[in-house]
Amino acid sequence: MNQDTVPLLELRGISKTFPGVKALDDVSFSVYPGEVHMLIGENGAGKSSLMKVLCGAYTADAGQFYSKGEPVDIRSPADARKFGIAVIFQEFSLVPYLDIAQNIFLGREFRGSIPGIIDHARMHSEARKILDLLGLELSTRTLVHELGVAQQQMVEIAKALSQHARILVMDEPTAALSDRETERLFAMIRQLQAEGVAIIYISHRMAEVFAMGDRITVLRDGKKVGSKLPGEATPDELVRMMVGRNVDMTYARSFGTSEGEMILEVKNLHAVNGIKGISLNVRRGEIVGLSGLVGAGRTEVARAIFGADKVTAGEIRLFGKLHQGAPDKAVRAGIALIPESRKAEGLALIRTVCDNLMLPGLGKAFPNRLYKASKARKIARELIDRLRISTPSSFRAVQVLSGGNQQKVVIGKWLSSDSKFFIVDEPTRGIDVGAKAEIFALIDELVRQGVGVLMISSELSEIVHVCDRAYVMRDGRIAGHLAREELSEENILRMGMHHE
Amino acid sequence: MNEIAMDEPSRSFSLARVPGVAWILGVLLIGFTAFSRDFLTGPNLHNIGLQSVILLILALPQTMIIMTEGVDIAMGAVLTLASVMLAWVLVHNGSLPLALAAALATGLMFGLANGMLVALLKMPPFVVTLGTMGVAQGLALIVTDGQSIVVNSDALQAVYGGSLAGMPLPLLIAVAVYAFSHVLLYHTRFGTYVFALGGNAEALKLAGIRANAYLIGVYVLGGLMAGLAALILTARMSSGHPTSAIGMEFDAIAAVVVGGTSFEHGKGWLFGTLLGVVAVGVLRNGLNLLAIPSSAQVACIGLLVIVALFIDGLKGKQ
Amino acid sequence: MSFALSKPGRFIGALTADLKTIAYRLAAAMVICVILTFASDAFLTTNNLLNVLRQASLLFLLASGLTLVILTAGLDLSVGANIGLSACIAASVMKLSGSALLGAASGVGVGMCIGVANGLLVALMRMPPFIATYGMLWVVHGITFWYMAGTTIYGFPSAFRALGSGYFLGVPIPVYLMFVFLTLGAFFAQRTTYGQEIYAIGANRESARLSGVPIARRLILVYTVSGAMAGLASLVFLARMNSAEGDIGEAFTLPAIAAVLIGGTSLFGGVGTVSGTLVGALILTLVLNGMNLLTLDASWQPLVTGVIVILAVFLDTLTRKRAEARK
Repeated sequence: MNQDTVPLLELRGISKTFPGVKALDDVSFSVYPGEVHMLIGENGAGKSSLMKVLCGAYTADAGQFYSKGEPVDIRSPADARKFGIAVIFQEFSLVPYLDIAQNIFLGREFRGSIPGIIDHARMHSEARKILDLLGLELSTRTLVHELGVAQQQMVEIAKALSQHARILVMDEPTAALSDRETERLFAMIRQLQAEGVAIIYISHRMAEVFAMGDRITVLRDGKKVGSKLPGEATPDELVRMMVGRNVDMTYARSFGTSEGEMILEVKNLHAVNGIKGISLNVRRGEIVGLSGLVGAGRTEVARAIFGADKVTAGEIRLFGKLHQGAPDKAVRAGIALIPESRKAEGLALIRTVCDNLMLPGLGKAFPNRLYKASKARKIARELIDRLRISTPSSFRAVQVLSGGNQQKVVIGKWLSSDSKFFIVDEPTRGIDVGAKAEIFALIDELVRQGVGVLMISSELSEIVHVCDRAYVMRDGRIAGHLAREELSEENILRMGMHHE
Repeated sequence: MNEIAMDEPSRSFSLARVPGVAWILGVLLIGFTAFSRDFLTGPNLHNIGLQSVILLILALPQTMIIMTEGVDIAMGAVLTLASVMLAWVLVHNGSLPLALAAALATGLMFGLANGMLVALLKMPPFVVTLGTMGVAQGLALIVTDGQSIVVNSDALQAVYGGSLAGMPLPLLIAVAVYAFSHVLLYHTRFGTYVFALGGNAEALKLAGIRANAYLIGVYVLGGLMAGLAALILTARMSSGHPTSAIGMEFDAIAAVVVGGTSFEHGKGWLFGTLLGVVAVGVLRNGLNLLAIPSSAQVACIGLLVIVALFIDGLKGKQ
Repeated sequence: MSFALSKPGRFIGALTADLKTIAYRLAAAMVICVILTFASDAFLTTNNLLNVLRQASLLFLLASGLTLVILTAGLDLSVGANIGLSACIAASVMKLSGSALLGAASGVGVGMCIGVANGLLVALMRMPPFIATYGMLWVVHGITFWYMAGTTIYGFPSAFRALGSGYFLGVPIPVYLMFVFLTLGAFFAQRTTYGQEIYAIGANRESARLSGVPIARRLILVYTVSGAMAGLASLVFLARMNSAEGDIGEAFTLPAIAAVLIGGTSLFGGVGTVSGTLVGALILTLVLNGMNLLTLDASWQPLVTGVIVILAVFLDTLTRKRAEARK
């Protein structure tokens, strides 16, 4: 077992900075042959940046890699492959209408004796060997689109192994799997482990961290907080290590005590996007948090309430009245959605600030359908002043604005339409500290004027500091509710990860 | 949680697994046999085969182009131009190989232009080929001055009328082209990457493959096949006419779509296209026998496409 | 335009992007005019200029509806075939009933129905616009040929013919129509909330949907308008030709798309104006007219139009890429 004393891969002092953000800060990390190294941390702790550095998609600003003790450079995906690193992303790199063998050997097809013709027989027999190694009984001729998510993941792993990967990086591999499939995956991981493959495993689930991990490393704010062996740490200890991120600032908010009128009441909501049995309510003058880890189904709840994804069961009541239907109905009923992706869903980037601000409120401002540019510009200017949007003019394209100002436009849109209930999904993503404070001041002002807000955020500290109370989601369901006095990062993480 | 069974996908036979094109073809065959005594006769079937040859030669590369989430609507016009060029060279030079080379070169140029505009400049395939369609159509008009170029060439006659071992030559060419396309799509890297171009182009890039080269290749293949089809078209008509194949790309696209190839996800099926070609051929022939004018046949094919796309969309939703 | 020449930078900088686009294109049209004046004695004559305007107006009528469709990032390839069928039905109704009004109404009605069908396929069946309307092209084309069966309908009441070949105050009537529909189109696009929503759909469909714009209804609306405008254009064409045949619409699709693209409307949606399309129609007509005057064969028309379409799409793609790089 002499070779086990040398890590298969070691990172020393890796740093990566993006404008305004230190994504990785002096991270050192190693993985030994046959080891499953768990990587945990709350949303935005630096796990995905580390993954991207490992697979060569990002180049580190500082630090050194060591492969089997030798210093090496990883500057491109090809480099990563050379040192036996394979990353399995949640988005698969598979071609749906090619079969398993063709996918495994995509770009590395075997040449046959006839020039130009692929040696299918050999490709299938090689693929068979790899599938056998993984204990998969699927035919190598099965087309990938016929496979379930779990099976596709296995094909990804087979593809990695066929490239002689010795280090597998997996990003939440069980996120879309059933219990039975998870068992299969774990059995396979144990087998790979026995063969000396090193595995870096990113997880949100406490149970599997302890079940599968040989070592656990906790990241926070791009820094390594510490590494533990499963035997020497308790789940509570790990949660404590994960929380306590440096809060950028404190959000001064006076929390209301009086019980306002019920604005939104959702009962047992199911939708095609995978949420199940969601029940929640929001009162006038409240900011209610919807928390949980990425992928828990928070955005899906927002989309279902707004009518952007189809509801299959349950009811939504707005001011006591039953509400259902597409987004245009939701807007008319007074619901506002500030979507997760500003650029893809929130704004028409090539259109002007004025155009974007006016869009939901067109019907309100121009009830006879005749559009007056002068009136629109007047309303837009008022909104620009009120929200302190920094833009050269109201007819500048939104794409030239900074992230924070763009986000103010997305919020401002809904002030032109007199919305009564706001769903804000990740309102501070990708904007700087000063702008964050302004956004929260804005939301606070709305609430004091009597609207209700349902706020989704991956930043636990935001939920804790801003919300009156919060629901925590896990696997498409509400895992629990935290009242103001119970609201803490630890409690949210405890509910959001699998451990009671 | 998604309840995904780990078992192998079912391979058992069920009616639902019979592709739509087979149903369509079956209905057409039974329908025309019932309504026209002339339909199910040897000479007529022979006729359908001969008429479908050009369509097949166009539809096979069109299948691959559509699989890459593209389309080539210039094909009919390029075929026309190639036919005109072939006739022109034959009249002025007399050498059939040289004439064929001219036709192929014409197709190659247009294929290259389409492919480069689509792949390198990322222009939308539909509008690009709409533009090159205009160019090819215009060139055909200019070269011929709007008139037919009549060819009297025994060698050319032999291409359409001749036979080898009892098989008409055009049919043999069709079989050869089908075999070539099959090998290309299912047994070479080129074909594998055609599936990937529409299915997951990102995967190709991750695998370090120059996706653009293959995308251009697909359009070049389309152009070359149009050049080859020009040989048969010119032989059949003994002339190069500036509007002879205008709109023929529509029959080809119809055959591809009816055959079950989709504009998304790189889903394609060469044999389906063959069935689609036969279906379009049978439809046209049958409507002919029922004395329905060629114009109304076009409308029927248009409806066929919309129905096929609709079914495709329904299946996609499930 | 003397002030534009004295301080072009500042003047142009103060204009909005749309006005700038149109100004550049008008300048291009001027340049073509100057070149043609020198190249051919026949160009700068009242007759020829009126002729250019008349041809441009027909093209504009067709392209104005298409502009709205392209603004939503869609495409309507059936406009040419639509002209064919609308004209033939209008002609035949006019002959049978003897009423020009009834004929005209049926022409526009047929065009509108085709538009509605396109809209339903695109908005409700979620078919890609180019495929749906390409299929429709051939369906309509087939119906036209089948209906006409090779015949020609000719000889219409002079009141109707005035629509295409009449003059008022020395200016062809279609030119008045062009300005009426320019006003209507620009009003609809710029001065109604429908217009605003159409731009929003083209610029970012998902953000428009999440802002409460009823996407399906607006899409059906624009395809219907495009169909109706094709119907109207068919009347003008019919009145000018004084005869209807099955193949009359064929040559219109490519020029109509070219006019829209030259006019600065982006195939990717959300950018463009109806007035730009008018300038686009003018430029294309000038080019084709110039070729005609320089005794270049009519066979050159599809070639030139095709090249223009490719160039326009190329520029459009380039602009788009540059805008994306800036984000």
